[in-house]
Amino acid sequence: MSDAKAGRSGPTTSTYALIPKPANLQCMDLQEYLRTRTAETLEKLYNYPTICLAVYRELPEIARQFVIRILFVEQPVPQAVVASWGSQHYAKEQAASTACLTELNVWRVTAIPGGLSAWELCPTFKKNLKIALLGGGKPWSMSHTLEKDSKPRDIAFLDTYAMARWRCVLHYMVGTGSSNKAQDSEGISPDAVRILLHANLMKRDERDGITITRQGFQFLLLDTQSQVWHFMLQYLDTCEERGLSLPDCLSMLFQLSFSTLGRDYSSEGMSPKMLTFLQHLREFGLVFQRKRKEGRFYPTRLALNVTNKHAAVPAVIAEDDKAQESGYIVVETNYRVYAYTDSPLQVAVLGLFTELLYRFPNLVVGVLTRDSVRQALRGGITADQIVSYLEQYSHPNMKLTESAIKSKSPLPPTVVDQIKLWELERNRFTYTEGVVYNQFLSQADFVTLRDYAQSINVLVHMNERTRTMVVTKNGHDDVKRFWKRYSKSGG
Amino acid sequence: MNKQQDVESNKFSLLVIVLDTNPSQRIVRQNAQLLTQCVDAIIAFGNAHLMQCSQNKLAVLSCHHHATDFLYPLPGKQLDVRQIDGQYEVFSLVEKTVKQRLSHIITNSPKLNTPCESILAGSMAMALCYISRIQRNAAAGVKMHSRILVVTGSNECASQYMTYMNVFFTAQKLGITIDVCAMDKTMSLLQQGCDITGGQYLRLTQLDGLLQYLLWVFLPDPQMRQKLVLPPATKVDYRAACFCHRELIDIGYVCSVCLSIFCKFSPICTTCHTVFKIPGPMPIKPKKKKKV
Amino acid sequence: MADIDGEDPKEYRWETGYEKTWEAIKEDDDGLLDGAIAEIIQKAKRKRQAQKTQQNRLGMMRHLYIVLDCSESMTVPDLKPTRMLCTIKLLEIFIEEFFDQNPISQLGLIVLKGKRAEKLTELTGTSKLHLKALEGVSKIPLTSEPSLQNGLDLAMKALKVVPSHASREILIIMGSLTTCDPVDINSTINALKADNIRCSVISLSAEIHVCRHLTQQTDGSYGAVLDDAHFRDQLLAHVDPPPAAQTQENSLIKMGFPHAKTDGGKDPPLSMCMCHIENTEEPSKLTSGGYHCPQCFSKYCELPVECQTCGLTLVSAPHLARSYHHLFPVQHFTELEFNGQAANCYACQKPLTEAMDKNVYRCEKCAQVYCIDCDIFIHETLHTCVGCNTGNSNRN
Repeated sequence: MSDAKAGRSGPTTSTYALIPKPANLQCMDLQEYLRTRTAETLEKLYNYPTICLAVYRELPEIARQFVIRILFVEQPVPQAVVASWGSQHYAKEQAASTACLTELNVWRVTAIPGGLSAWELCPTFKKNLKIALLGGGKPWSMSHTLEKDSKPRDIAFLDTYAMARWRCVLHYMVGTGSSNKAQDSEGISPDAVRILLHANLMKRDERDGITITRQGFQFLLLDTQSQVWHFMLQYLDTCEERGLSLPDCLSMLFQLSFSTLGRDYSSEGMSPKMLTFLQHLREFGLVFQRKRKEGRFYPTRLALNVTNKHAAVPAVIAEDDKAQESGYIVVETNYRVYAYTDSPLQVAVLGLFTELLYRFPNLVVGVLTRDSVRQALRGGITADQIVSYLEQYSHPNMKLTESAIKSKSPLPPTVVDQIKLWELERNRFTYTEGVVYNQFLSQADFVTLRDYAQSINVLVHMNERTRTMVVTKNGHDDVKRFWKRYSKSGG
Repeated sequence: MNKQQDVESNKFSLLVIVLDTNPSQRIVRQNAQLLTQCVDAIIAFGNAHLMQCSQNKLAVLSCHHHATDFLYPLPGKQLDVRQIDGQYEVFSLVEKTVKQRLSHIITNSPKLNTPCESILAGSMAMALCYISRIQRNAAAGVKMHSRILVVTGSNECASQYMTYMNVFFTAQKLGITIDVCAMDKTMSLLQQGCDITGGQYLRLTQLDGLLQYLLWVFLPDPQMRQKLVLPPATKVDYRAACFCHRELIDIGYVCSVCLSIFCKFSPICTTCHTVFKIPGPMPIKPKKKKKV
Repeated sequence: MADIDGEDPKEYRWETGYEKTWEAIKEDDDGLLDGAIAEIIQKAKRKRQAQKTQQNRLGMMRHLYIVLDCSESMTVPDLKPTRMLCTIKLLEIFIEEFFDQNPISQLGLIVLKGKRAEKLTELTGTSKLHLKALEGVSKIPLTSEPSLQNGLDLAMKALKVVPSHASREILIIMGSLTTCDPVDINSTINALKADNIRCSVISLSAEIHVCRHLTQQTDGSYGAVLDDAHFRDQLLAHVDPPPAAQTQENSLIKMGFPHAKTDGGKDPPLSMCMCHIENTEEPSKLTSGGYHCPQCFSKYCELPVECQTCGLTLVSAPHLARSYHHLFPVQHFTELEFNGQAANCYACQKPLTEAMDKNVYRCEKCAQVYCIDCDIFIHETLHTCVGCNTGNSNRN
């Protein structure tokens, strides 16, 4: 920042890095994930109809309408025409959608005769989205015809299987895997451990053991669907190292995600690498396969609609469908938490933010206190995470109370508010990145620069006595330029 | 941002398409090929609706001259459809089911000697029953938006007036939007339905680009239509049909007891059998004379 | 409320024997009650339907005054939060429903405060005005006793001028157990009777003899509420039009059905509307839209309205159509034991199974089979039998 002094004595500037906040778990959705990819990667990804379909569903709603309207138009569409499709009152939303389409490389600008610029869908994307919608092209890799399974697996079986496998991973994280029942004791493969380490959900401690990290605890608080998605993203990060191709894996993942629950699919014709990938998915419970060598597998609920957590739960309960995994937590207005569980995993998670009082064979009683919640907050867990965890696993009876039906949340509103207030207590600082200007030679210099900074709304703080001022990081360049001009003109 | 998305994504929309497949429609009589074209467009449109969001639901009804049937989904077990090309499995299922059911209905329908009207109102009533069933079964906390799209090339018929009205008011009460795509004549009754329920009415003069029209006007959810520029609503003809001849009238006589509408004065109400007093010099008469 | 009549043999509830309510609930094979309770609920639903008898002589053009007690007794908190606030809440619902079901009817509000009666709103056909007035009611100081007679007199004066073919009704909501009247109330009751004004009373405290006498004399209904849910039921029972009084004169009324004109897609010329022309607060504006009287082409911005120029009543067809279901109700379906009559419900396509559907329902006209949910939906909401309207053989 020494150039700010512009050769002659003037105010010195120095940037202050933010006080490092504890690294929190970053959960990306598909759109954010794709934004971090390069254009070439995206182009490669769009070669798969499945990925195009998944990307389309993740677009903002206005963007989806735009894409579908130009999907069947052969020539590029002038930008002005596209802009006229949206209402003026929602120009902001429309601009965001347009930007999103550009960033994801779904469409691009081209020039058309007459000197106007126009939008044109990326040809690969266009072709493959059309294939997904209307047909044509090659079948997806896992849809070879199969003979009828002699022992087809039903949905209930798949659900139990998937949850058992997934819990295995979670149990391993809280370190309760080995002490539990026989099926858990098989533990998880070194590959899975590597992913956990890579994702920073676990770390090696001094004695070369493996312990869960702060992010790991936050991870446990997520709902299962988000856990799977986050975990798979981390897996995809490392898949290149394993010699797997990212587009292949991602397309396979989405194929699973678009498959029908309770139906069997064929792994015939898959490359050996994809078969390895399938084995990994099998380990995490995303697919069920009787034997490693069997050319038939069933996707489970975990794999379905990986990107959208609401889609996993059926929005319409079929007449004969029984409730799936039910909640077990009761929260009372006196901050007491009763959990009907004997799972060490669930107790461990609950222990993160409650003070446990009693343990019975099938019941744990805890209480939410300021201290216990603050401890969790200090650990980087947010109030929203706590609330959503309690909501997610609340006992079915909680959902039937009058207040639950009215307010949509099964938790007592007082408790929810208090947890949020406890979080707010801690957020009394707002952090703004900035640049300090000090050691002004004269009061006049200081006043000029301060007034300028104030006029363009970048002044964060100033102290006239010590002739110190702080401007925002974005404003720094402007103020610096102004100072150079000012000092050159001999002010 | 994320929070807001969460709230938004916990909803789904159900689209019920009522497709008029009556062979007496003018466009079908002139060129049977057009029906195929139309069905293809409807399937693509339905799939585009399903493509919007994984929770979205679709149902297709055919309104044939003798009966109304569900083309998709089948009431019990769905067809076992495997992928044959790059099309998404669910979309293939829709396409197969609709085409198979439709050919079944057309081949098995009784021969039609004289053109007859399409019983669209009944089909819409059936669609409402289906929607209300799905609504009952919707999981707690999930918001459901439903709408009905009627695609027809039939003429209007006033004989279904009462059913139409019942359907419109039920839809209005349940917050269901009724959209209409008229491919031949202007449908003034259905237009009223669109107006009452806040739906879009579109009359096409030619069938080229049907899919493009459907995607433009009817694909967006009613909730997001305000964000887009759509064809402006036309003025709706709210005239009544008289009970005696089922004709639309400007001025009519209404029974004070049962509100039946008649186009001429009659001494006894055919609906409730009330005997009316003979109108003396009506107070409005002199004024009218003065005016005219 | 079957005991409107004095000679009604039905005793008071405290005079009847026990009702063994617990015997209606039976445990099923697993010792659970859910099934039995669900059955009771379904039966209750169907029973409500069955009570609606076919009645095609209804007083559809209703003129109703609601007389609301605003005395001290309305502050009692036995209805939550107080009788007054509870009543206001329910009246809001009532007014909306009333205009929904009775499209060309009119409503007015009268409050009884401090032994006087005051007209809050005149008879009008739009709900907005009443709802706005109702907001103000909560600010009225609730003191002293009401005067039933003053209220009735005021309402009667307004209803007397209503055309003879319309039904005239007064609905009184009484919180007080007493009334403080200037002269003998019997004279008022006789006058009401002579004018064919139907008076109904909902009492929020207990049964009062004079009120009962009033309702008996004028063919109204009388009810004392148990709790807010019961209050709501009692109030909403007044939404359905009452049977037309025998003495009521009937006539065919000439009406116009305006339609907004669009000639060749051109915008119609700008014009002024008649409804605001004499209104100084909101002067008439030049607009292109609006409804034109088919007789004299005056323009109005809202329907329904009576044409100021030629006196024609202008309505839109859907206004009238809203109430047709009262006249042409769907016939009751026959309840049948399910034994595979159909694979799925005709209307909603729900697969019928032995386990879930004990009974199915058949329309006698079209012989289609429905599930219980559709049976209820068709009779309570849709008012159209799906089967009768989707086959072309049995329609005219």
